[in-house]
Amino acid sequence: MSTTAEKRDLEAVIREDTDLDYHALNAMLNLYDADGRIQFERDKQAARQYFLQHVNNNTVFFHDLEEKLKYLVEHDYYEREVLDQYSFEFISRLSKQAYKKKFRFQTFLGAFKFYTSYTLKTFDGKRYLERFEDRVVMVALFLASGDEVLASQLVEEIISGRFQPATPTFLNAGKKQRGELVSCFLLRIEDNMESIGRSINSALQLSKRGGGVAFSLTNIRESGAPIKKIENQSSGVIPIMKLLEDSFSYANQLGARQGAGAVYLNAHHPDIYKFLDTKRENADEKIRIKTLSLGVVIPDITFQLAKRNEDMYLFSPYDVQQVYGKPFTEVCVTDEYYNMVDNAAIHKKKINAREFFQTLAEIQFESGYPYIMFEDTVNRANPIDGKITMSNLCSEILQVADPSTYNDDLSYAQIGKDISCNLGSLNIALTMDSDDFGRTVETAIRGLTAVSEASHITSVPSIERGNDMSHAIGLGQMNLHGYLARERIHYGSDEGLDFTNMYFYTVAFHAVRASMELAKERGRTFDGFERSKYASGEYFDKYIDGVWEPRTDKVAGIFAEAGIHIPTQDDWRELKAQVAEHGIYNQNLQAVPPTGSISYINNSTSSIHPVASRIEIRKEGKIGRVYYPAPFMDNDNLEYYQDAYEIGYEKIIDTYAEATQHVDQGLSLTLFFKDTATTRDINKAQIYAWRKGIKTIYYIRIRQLALAGTEVDGCVSCML
Amino acid sequence: MISGEKLTLVSHVDAINWNRIQDDVDSEVWDRLTANFWLPEKVPLSNDVQSWATLTEDEKTLTMRVFTGLTLLDTIQGTVGAVSLIPDALTPHEEAVYTNIAFMESVHAKSYSSIFSTLSNTKQIDEAFRWSTENQNLQRKAKIVLDYYRGDDPLKRKVASTLLESFLFYSGFYLPMYWSSHAKLTNTADLIRLIIRDEAVHGYYIGYKYQRGLELESEARKQELKDYTFNLLFELYENEVQYTHDLYDGVGLSEDVKKFLHYNANKALMNLGYEAMFPAAVTDVNPAILSALSPNADENHDFFSGSGSSYVIGKAVNTEDEDWDF
Repeated sequence: MSTTAEKRDLEAVIREDTDLDYHALNAMLNLYDADGRIQFERDKQAARQYFLQHVNNNTVFFHDLEEKLKYLVEHDYYEREVLDQYSFEFISRLSKQAYKKKFRFQTFLGAFKFYTSYTLKTFDGKRYLERFEDRVVMVALFLASGDEVLASQLVEEIISGRFQPATPTFLNAGKKQRGELVSCFLLRIEDNMESIGRSINSALQLSKRGGGVAFSLTNIRESGAPIKKIENQSSGVIPIMKLLEDSFSYANQLGARQGAGAVYLNAHHPDIYKFLDTKRENADEKIRIKTLSLGVVIPDITFQLAKRNEDMYLFSPYDVQQVYGKPFTEVCVTDEYYNMVDNAAIHKKKINAREFFQTLAEIQFESGYPYIMFEDTVNRANPIDGKITMSNLCSEILQVADPSTYNDDLSYAQIGKDISCNLGSLNIALTMDSDDFGRTVETAIRGLTAVSEASHITSVPSIERGNDMSHAIGLGQMNLHGYLARERIHYGSDEGLDFTNMYFYTVAFHAVRASMELAKERGRTFDGFERSKYASGEYFDKYIDGVWEPRTDKVAGIFAEAGIHIPTQDDWRELKAQVAEHGIYNQNLQAVPPTGSISYINNSTSSIHPVASRIEIRKEGKIGRVYYPAPFMDNDNLEYYQDAYEIGYEKIIDTYAEATQHVDQGLSLTLFFKDTATTRDINKAQIYAWRKGIKTIYYIRIRQLALAGTEVDGCVSCML
Repeated sequence: MISGEKLTLVSHVDAINWNRIQDDVDSEVWDRLTANFWLPEKVPLSNDVQSWATLTEDEKTLTMRVFTGLTLLDTIQGTVGAVSLIPDALTPHEEAVYTNIAFMESVHAKSYSSIFSTLSNTKQIDEAFRWSTENQNLQRKAKIVLDYYRGDDPLKRKVASTLLESFLFYSGFYLPMYWSSHAKLTNTADLIRLIIRDEAVHGYYIGYKYQRGLELESEARKQELKDYTFNLLFELYENEVQYTHDLYDGVGLSEDVKKFLHYNANKALMNLGYEAMFPAAVTDVNPAILSALSPNADENHDFFSGSGSSYVIGKAVNTEDEDWDF
């Protein structure tokens, strides 16, 4: 621990005058000082200089709140309807509540990111109209829809850093000129031209409004399949991917960010190798996919075939649909595999199963893609009636969907159910510090539900319908590594796993409880509740039959000291009875996203994975290359900040496995490898993840260190 | 311009045996270079079009000129430089590495064209190329290096090559690093960082081979080569300072670029096994540039922003039955 004298020194450094601009000061984080210590104070100095040199000079001045709000409403910056729900006295009080917290950005990147990407700016983009506190107040006013108590609670949770809404919500809420508040959209594509055409339109509409969009291509007939019974006509999935990729790069959100999309394909689709080869380093320009993300849906049978080192058959979606009378996505490949193999009416190809996994790993090495969804694991854990057939751009959304049908003029014959999800994350460290853990979770659930209720994506009717039916939300978590390090627990250690288990267990309880309260208040549940495992009570079995308690003294102590009650079997029994009586309001409750931008603003480590580097190099189109120190880190506790490449995949997967059992949707799980790894190591990690009940795998990241002799001297992120 | 030379081919060739490695560095560098293989098409340069539009006319002109200058150097290195080193190779594996270097230099040269055609138009491109053929300091730089490649001393060729790879490129590399630290042309910077990643290895390797070659020489000859190196570096440095002023005076960055030159001159000397020429006081490069320079592939980016320079071609190894034991 640093002494008070040292601290005073740091304070002096932070306040000292400098000729360097804030970018240079920030970059010094990545260079050791003469004594080989990380220069944390330089980053704080950079944050301070950013305000002195830039923000303060470029902020529009108002005499008081009244003048400010009047100006912002009259000039079409703020939505009048949002403010009209409250008295001015209340808004003024809420603003004071926020400012009283004396919020300060802990890092340069946090401040820089906020002012570059989130805050309200004049229309010429040159001057700032909001400080962080103003944004928080406006988000709370928007979400609370006139409910003063909720507005005040939301300000409290957000300004304290415990709850952070996802980017689309935090960026847009309350602004007059804005995109949508929802993070993620998932749509099915069926095997007909109307559905494909609609999908292109949806891609344009949704990426114009914000959020990432994912499509399932599994039902599209393969290249060479017949069209109108004439053989060798279809061109398969690749041209559709090209169309989607171009659509996403055309439509961006008022320039706020590039549209981004993902496509998912089942491993047993005949175009699977073509699909993967689009990401090859030497792929031909005609088939190369640069900016579209890829995901592969893998059923259990594929692993079993690989175990026996057998061939795996790929099935024509067109024929499967003819034989089963339903789309390929709706057929359980694991259950029906041998029936389909034996059915002469289904065209098929075969490839070697182990070779498939190896190819997967090769492409992941070269590009980080594809994501993986373990289809059978996901569906076994799904509490909702129906089959989950795909995931989304960050592989944490796992919901059921129904197909739409279209008329020839592209109007809907029947509007299906597509998926949207709005997200927000709790900062685990600060939530553990909360004076009321249950209230923090509940406020977050209420805030997220408000986003769902305020969202009406009329441009894509199947999304609007899905949202109205399900009110699905995704409460995420971040700063796990930061918290563990602060408590001097190693990531992935027995205590680390124990904590992860108990934390997610407790969150799950309060999330279901809050959703039950919402159903009780509103007098209605999500559509299909009565067919869910919440209604049948099956969801509660493992919590009522088993005892869930900390297994280490350290973790028991942490919860006791924080005054956080760990739900007992009786608590769950009571909750089960209440849910049986009132139902729950949200079809889905939790999803753990990768949390990029918001974890910088919130001073968190991303999601629940380990830091990628003690000093992270962050590169984005809008901010350039910036350096970010892990939260709570100083030169004395570096040992707890082992990076993800050092920690290795087992501990990361073990940690995610603990959390997964309490999360109804998915968790973005990135795997990290040094460049000395081989495709075999990646395959082993995939097998391990599948065996541990992991639902999805997000990126594979490879770190290549500079060849000895070519590195930049004294660079923090270059060292191990 | 560069044609008209006749390359002397080696008279005798043995089949290269990668199972008998005389120098481990050969295979280490070969592995690194092949794992780093890339093509400019992988970088979504078109995402920089909006950002390009925010540059002033002067800044655009500067950027175009910098890249034409780099194109010229990469062309020299790809068509003459790396190729001229092949006959001097001490091991067959060293020859193989040079062929890889030569090829990648051509990829680099082509990459700048990808940047041009994405961001600019034919008229501007032609103007920038005309500037590069008319700029005396740039042409002089090319001439100095080409003359040494044509000379008949293998070690001097390596010195010239190392100085080119580790020093001369960097007056140009400065600019995209500067832009990216100010959140401009970040995808272009990704592509340039891929080039830097390669050049860092090239400079290191050729310098290393120079040091191996030097070990076999007499003391007098060692001294001669050292004097030669410092003289050549100084000649190039003086020219490079002029070139830097030609380019960067208009935007007021010359002083900072010169520090960067000093830093990289020292780096080039280090690659050749010599002590630094410039004291630390004049090598204090802007930390934002220095940090951006790191050839490590460890940055974190999101899918909204581009492909980054992080991925490599992996080693494929079959899984075994024991891996599937469940």
